[in-house]
This record gives sequence, structure tokens and C-alpha cells, in this order.
Amino acid sequence: MLDLLAYDFMQRSLLAAAMVGGLCSVIGVFVVLRGLAFVGAGTSHAAFAGVALGYLIGWPPLLLAIVFGLATVWITGWVEERGRMKLDVSIGILYTTTMALGILFIGLMKSYNAEVYGYLFGSVLSVTPEELSIIGALTVLVLGLLLLFSKELYFIAFDQEMAEASGVPARQIFFLLLTLVALTVVVSLKTVGAILVFAMILIPASTAYQLTHSLATLTLYSATIGIFTSIAGVLISALWDVPSGPAIVLLATTIFFIAVFFSPKRLKRTRLAHSH
Amino acid sequence: MSDPREPIIRFEHASFGFPGLIALKDISLAIYEGEFVGVIGPNGSGKTTLCRAVLGLLTPVEGHLHIFDCACNELRCHHRAKIGYLPQKGVVDRNFPVTVLETVMMGRYGALGLFKRPGRKDRDIAQEALAQVGMDSHKNHALGQLSGGQQQRVFIARALAQQPKVLILDEPTTGLDITAQHNVIELVQQLHDELKLTVLLITHDINMIRSRVDRLVLLKTRLFAAAPPKDVLKPEILHQVYGKDLVITEKDLVIVEDYHHHH
Repeated sequence: MLDLLAYDFMQRSLLAAAMVGGLCSVIGVFVVLRGLAFVGAGTSHAAFAGVALGYLIGWPPLLLAIVFGLATVWITGWVEERGRMKLDVSIGILYTTTMALGILFIGLMKSYNAEVYGYLFGSVLSVTPEELSIIGALTVLVLGLLLLFSKELYFIAFDQEMAEASGVPARQIFFLLLTLVALTVVVSLKTVGAILVFAMILIPASTAYQLTHSLATLTLYSATIGIFTSIAGVLISALWDVPSGPAIVLLATTIFFIAVFFSPKRLKRTRLAHSH
Repeated sequence: MSDPREPIIRFEHASFGFPGLIALKDISLAIYEGEFVGVIGPNGSGKTTLCRAVLGLLTPVEGHLHIFDCACNELRCHHRAKIGYLPQKGVVDRNFPVTVLETVMMGRYGALGLFKRPGRKDRDIAQEALAQVGMDSHKNHALGQLSGGQQQRVFIARALAQQPKVLILDEPTTGLDITAQHNVIELVQQLHDELKLTVLLITHDINMIRSRVDRLVLLKTRLFAAAPPKDVLKPEILHQVYGKDLVITEKDLVIVEDYHHHH
């Protein structure tokens, strides 16, 4: 295994996985607590449609992924704010529409394009130095903004109306969160792919949720689980020659079920139920 | 209450809602500093709308609303922080991973403003707020593990951590057992007396608050009365709003049908 670590591509992959794992799992805390899980799924498919359009018309795929991702989250946020439609319905419609666009764009391409599928399924082992620097810059940007606005983000996740009533600019913070979700998805496309990025946002935070009663500890646990599973998943992928995305996600899912089983919250509830 | 002081909240012919769906119509009402006001009325009468308006979350579709001498649509974040609020739902997700102290610290966030981290002073204010509601020994407990009454105390502490001038409580006793209901109202009264807070308390339980409040505000889309309880709790006024005959005794207010049934 140590031989593997000597390769440049392996070092790049591990660094990319660690950054994406950390980023997804930290923003995942706010996504899970604010009940935006489905938004992550919708955004990743919209971003993929952007990538497909980029390859079709010869524009930078990541740029169009950001445009599609941001348009989706902003429309979703706007619809929720207006109270016109339930969030899961609006995101469901956008999710399937953008996926249809993605498939349409791929269909319109004259030839088979393997790179597009790389964004769908993720290929962390083929991350280039340029991609690594983009991932690095966006990770620093998103984590920096999360840190800067963490107290407001926790508050709107807990109770947005209460936050607004007590003087926090809650609407703006909500849209900031949606924007950061879109950026995180785009950063993660190349490593875990559009289909599995959603899992990286959801699973570490949901695992940590089983283990603690404190917001601060929750974030720390989630980041640790996210970074660990990403690095371990890449190593498993390289050692046993299996695709990296599924390796990371299935490892994270295994830890999730272990956490559910040993959850102090669940054990406490079970004890209470028996005592009555 | 005719008061020589300047009102802290002033509605002037204010209406709220959407065109075609008016929740509150033509409200003119002044609330003075240090008053304890009970807001009553049937379901859907606009009580919560009144709350949300005072919080600066709604602007009037007609008329004006001034809070701290500021038009409500210009209410700045630091003004909002001067209004502590206990929202209606009361029941939190029992698994939401937040400790009691973390919950109360959130009360500091609006007053602190963006980019500032809470420091020792904020922690001290939060701990003091917890002590004021008698929950300081629970500060490291999970919020979800507390009883309904204890959770309400924690939410009141969060409102107090804002160091508010006005405290608004939207049905704080809903879903609590009778002892917890009494304790919460007692606590609100004590905070009003000791901290000289202006309190707006929305409730269905008129009997519980009638001896405590300075004035009762009776709503049913329009403002039917805003006066001391003895002037509001009259059969002819209540009949207009509740549509039932009510018997008002020294201590209780009873709907006539129920009254006959039980006696």
C-alpha cells in the first residue's frame, strides 16, 4: 500500500477525496438539520445537466455546472419562501427536468464521450493537478464562508422564523446556504460523481446525528467521518480495483448503520420503552 | 390604560394579510412600556398575525405600525433583537442535536450581528438567563430530553438572552400539564415584575391570566377591546366574538352550555 502512496496520481486522489469528504460532511450538517436533503440530490443532477451542456456546446463544463446548480437552488429557495409549493415537490420537478436535459444533451452529442460519464459516476483516481487546485480553492471558499456564518447557519437550521424574529438576516443566510450547497456539489462532481455526491452530503452528518446532542460535536464528528470514509474509500478502490465513488459511499453507509445500532439516543429510547 | 408615556408599539389603522384574505383589519392600538398585555380571541382571529407584525415579520397592507418609533418595515436587526419571542410550536424535534446552553446562546446571535463570535460576556448573559428561568443546572443537557414545561423555560431563557425590552409569547402553555402551565405563567409574571419587561401573552386560557394582566386585547380579525380585564370580560362583548353565551364568575369564565351541563 505504501508503494501506491508514492504515485502522484494517488496523492492527488487522496487529497481531493479528503477535501471533498470534509466539505460535503460539514455542509451536510446544515443540510440535514435544515431538512434540505432532497435539495442536494436535485442540485447534483442539475449540475450534471450543466456538465453535459458544456461538452455539447464546447463551454467549460464546471462553469455551466455552477450555473445550473445555482439556478436550481435559487428557484427552489424562492418557491419555498413564497410558500407556493412544498419544497419536495418543487425540487422533484426541477430534479427530473434537469436530468431529462442532461440525457437530452448527451443524446445530442455526435459521439460517445467518456468524460461526461466520469462526472456522473466520479473518477477520483483521474483528478488532474488543475482540477485539484479548483477543488482546493472552492473548498477553502465554502468552508471559510461556513465558518464565518456558522452561528447564523445553526440558528436558521434550528428555527428560521425564530432566527429572523431575533434579528438574524435569516433569508439571506438561507440563500447563502443554498448557494454553498450548489458550490459543494460542483466541487464534488469529479470525485464522487453526480449520483453519489448526495450520499456524501447526507450520510456523514446523519451518522453523527445518531451520536451526539451538541451542534458543535455533531459538526466535528461529521467532518471526521466524511474525511475518514473518503480517504479509506479511495485506498480500497486502489487496492482492490473497484470504483472509488461506490467504495466511499458504501463504507460511509456501513458506518451509518453501525452508528444507528449503537446510537446512545436509540439505546436510551429503548431503555425508556422497556421501563414503562 | 391611559398612560402619559410614549407607546413602545403603535398600530394606526393597520391591516395585515393579503388582498382578499385579511387576517387583521383596521387595528389601532398602543402598547406602553412595562405593560403586561394578554391577547385573546378565537382560533384564526389574528392573534399570531399580531405577534408576527410586532416582530417585524409582516408589514401592514394598510395603515401604519411603529415599533420603538421605527416604521415596522424599517425595523433594523438590532431593533428586532430587542423583542424576545417564544413561538407557538413549543414541541421541538426530540432528536435535534442541541444542548440547553447552545439553544440559549442563539438568543445572543441577533444582538451580536454578523461576523462576531459569541464571547465570555455572551456566555455569562446566557447563563444568567438560564438562572432566571431556573434551568441553570440543565445547561449541558440535550434540549430534546427535557419535559415540555422545561423546554418552554429554555425558550424563554433564549428570548431573555436577547436582553429584550418586549417579550412576546405565543400560546406558551399549549400541550403542557396543568402544573407546568401554571409554572410558566407564574414565571412570565415574575419576569415582567422583576425585569420591567413589556409582555404580550397570547393565550386561549383567559382564566389563567385574567388576574395577572394589565389589559386584555380581544381580537377577531378586528380589535374588539383593549382594556383592563374587568372591562373586557363582559357577556355582551364576549358574545360578539365567541358567539356563545358566557357566564363570568369571580374567578372563572364558563360557556353557558357547559355550565348547565356541569351543574
